[in-house]
Amino acid sequence: MKKFIVHILICASILFIVDKLAYFILKETPKHLYDTRLKKVLDGEMNKELIILGSSKGAGNIIASQIEKETGYDSYNLSYMGSNVIFHEFILRKLLKHNKAPKIVLLTIDNPQTLINEKSLSYRFDKLYPLSVYNEVNDELIAQNDRSILSQFFLMGRLSKAHINYSNEKPSKDNPLLEDGSMPFIRVNPKSKREFVERSILYDKTLEMESKLEALNSIQNQCEANNIQLYYVFSPKMFNFNSAFYKRFLKLINSEKEIFKYDNNSLYTLKTSYFDQSHLMIHSAKVFTKEISEFIKSHNP
Amino acid sequence: MYFNSIDFAIFLPIVFLVYWFITQKNLKLQNALIVVASYVFYGWWDWRFLSLIVFSSLVDYSIGLALKKEEQQSKRKLLLWTSIGVNLGFLGFFKYYNFFADNFVSAFSFFGQPIQPNTLDIILPVGISFYTFQTLSYTIDVYKRKLEPTSNLISFLAFVSFFPQLVAGPIERATHLLPQFYKKRVFHYSLAVNGCRQILWGLFKKIVIADNCAEYANMIFNNSSDYSGSTLFMGALFFTFQIYGDFSGYSDIAIGTSRLFGFDLKQNFAFPYFSRDIAEFWRRWHISLSTWFRDYLYIPLGGSQGGTLMKVRNTFIIFLVSGFWHGANWTFIAWGFLNALYFLPLLLTNKNRKHTTSVVAQHNYLPNIKEFIHISFTFLLTVLAWVFFRANNLSHAFNYLKGIASKSIFSLPEVRPSYLILLIVFFICIEWMGRRSLFAIENLLIKKHFSVKLAFYIFLIVLMFLFYGKEQAFIYFQF
Repeated sequence: MKKFIVHILICASILFIVDKLAYFILKETPKHLYDTRLKKVLDGEMNKELIILGSSKGAGNIIASQIEKETGYDSYNLSYMGSNVIFHEFILRKLLKHNKAPKIVLLTIDNPQTLINEKSLSYRFDKLYPLSVYNEVNDELIAQNDRSILSQFFLMGRLSKAHINYSNEKPSKDNPLLEDGSMPFIRVNPKSKREFVERSILYDKTLEMESKLEALNSIQNQCEANNIQLYYVFSPKMFNFNSAFYKRFLKLINSEKEIFKYDNNSLYTLKTSYFDQSHLMIHSAKVFTKEISEFIKSHNP
Repeated sequence: MYFNSIDFAIFLPIVFLVYWFITQKNLKLQNALIVVASYVFYGWWDWRFLSLIVFSSLVDYSIGLALKKEEQQSKRKLLLWTSIGVNLGFLGFFKYYNFFADNFVSAFSFFGQPIQPNTLDIILPVGISFYTFQTLSYTIDVYKRKLEPTSNLISFLAFVSFFPQLVAGPIERATHLLPQFYKKRVFHYSLAVNGCRQILWGLFKKIVIADNCAEYANMIFNNSSDYSGSTLFMGALFFTFQIYGDFSGYSDIAIGTSRLFGFDLKQNFAFPYFSRDIAEFWRRWHISLSTWFRDYLYIPLGGSQGGTLMKVRNTFIIFLVSGFWHGANWTFIAWGFLNALYFLPLLLTNKNRKHTTSVVAQHNYLPNIKEFIHISFTFLLTVLAWVFFRANNLSHAFNYLKGIASKSIFSLPEVRPSYLILLIVFFICIEWMGRRSLFAIENLLIKKHFSVKLAFYIFLIVLMFLFYGKEQAFIYFQF
């Protein structure tokens, strides 16, 4: 028995040392990231006056540096392609924890997918994995049921595939990340479908997810508590506007004045304005951004 | 309590230390500790169902003693059927009530007599199929006078509820496990180390192979209409490794844990995916269940004693019952039926006992071409059968197979996670190297220096952390 226990203790000690070695990998990984936006948030380097949150509609259709130029607000885009409202809430929470609260937050809304279970919009765990050296990121992964509670005790438990192939994340040729955090679409992808489509304008409220409603509510509460002006942005698409969702959404906010809905610009009726059915090309994104700047200026004279 | 949970990581060392340092000198106390630990382990899920195990144990304990005293055959038979009735009654109610209720409704509707469904919101007690079969084996063996009934209640309770194998087997026979509770257990270093090795390999199978495969298998099976034939085939392959990693991993952890406490449990999986025909596969897959059905169903039905027709009938019966044992769904019955069909040609040509003793390439590093073709063909049949096991219903299974059989089987799969494919290749290599042992890493590097072995074990642990998949419940818990 003595020999057995001694051997178990030797194994445990070596495992302990190996575990601690994992710290170097964990620490090194964030330095090699291509997209450092979240890291900047966690490091308190995101003290901006205007922040854009959202999915690809926010990342590709709104250009932060242009807003900055047109409104005078120091702006940054923290939108992530394919992310959902729960992820946006996480970004805002961390932003407010580590940085000076912005004056304005633009939250782009996916009409009508924001509150329902939509495959193309997810919690971007992959953006968190390389940053799991931060305890709060690891805690978030545990809270999201993506990681074992063991990772609180074992550093190896924080390792993931992301720590092996983080360098695989390369700039997209379609929409590279700009310095202001925006990712406008700069070239036409021949594979993209660019057809205007008539879609159902019905909206089934029963499909809404409680967790997404809570996230939206939390964003509203955090903005209110920190005196942040929250605006909701509806982007143009090649689908008809779902007014049933819009009506439903109005009930979830304080006033319609908080909503910016794209203008009836004829540009948005041209195929050439789009990268695909949901995203604008850079030239039309500039027009859309200009409309947003005008809206901000009119609401904040 | 799951084996791959933090709860178990705390529970196991505590029970181990109390077992060997506090209760070691008193056998009764040691057995009592096993009973208490097992009830805590089980009650962690739902303490209400503990009463079922206790009741079932007391019934079989009492019937065992009554069978000892009773000489009259008719009364002995009555006692036996009481035990079978109580045990299968619980199993039938908790596991099959809704299935039969639903099917009665469907049958009546089919004949134009619609009736109101009267299903109940029943929770299936974890492991009920396993401990029911274990206690049944006790009563049947006592009835057949193969086993002396025990008067030691604590030992019997410990036998029924022994925590390492309580919820998902291996289904132990009373003749093998019960006597181990009568003898004083002695700690053996080599056995304990062997146990730790088996636990480690079991955890690797579960955490790295099964849980990672599960993510992709679930994704593909749940959206099967969106994928090409080649991707659907990949999905079936992932499920094939998921179920093996999951269930044989559980068995490894159970057997290894038992060794830490000085117990010997029977081997439950013997590298089934290296089988050369389907009969060999069934001698190597879930051995404790296959032999249970062989001894308590197939042989009493006449086994292979009668003519060909009887053999065929009995084979179909055990495969169908085995399928139904897995779950109250037609998919499991279809899975059993398909395996019986696979078995049929071997049975009719008397080739079903061709590979009973040796493992493939017993004295070689690699199989020869003929063996390789046989292994591949058997494996392919198994993969296709698992589609029924995993599908939500029969039409899902047929559509899935139809998808595989489409032209797109020749296209490049849309889902091909290279890291997982590499892990599976690594896993197959280790399993192949260890196929002559009781578990893959039992004798691997055994003659190497302690540091080399240790480095390999640490490497496995690092892989577990690195490729920790989304935690999935053990598949066989639902059975």
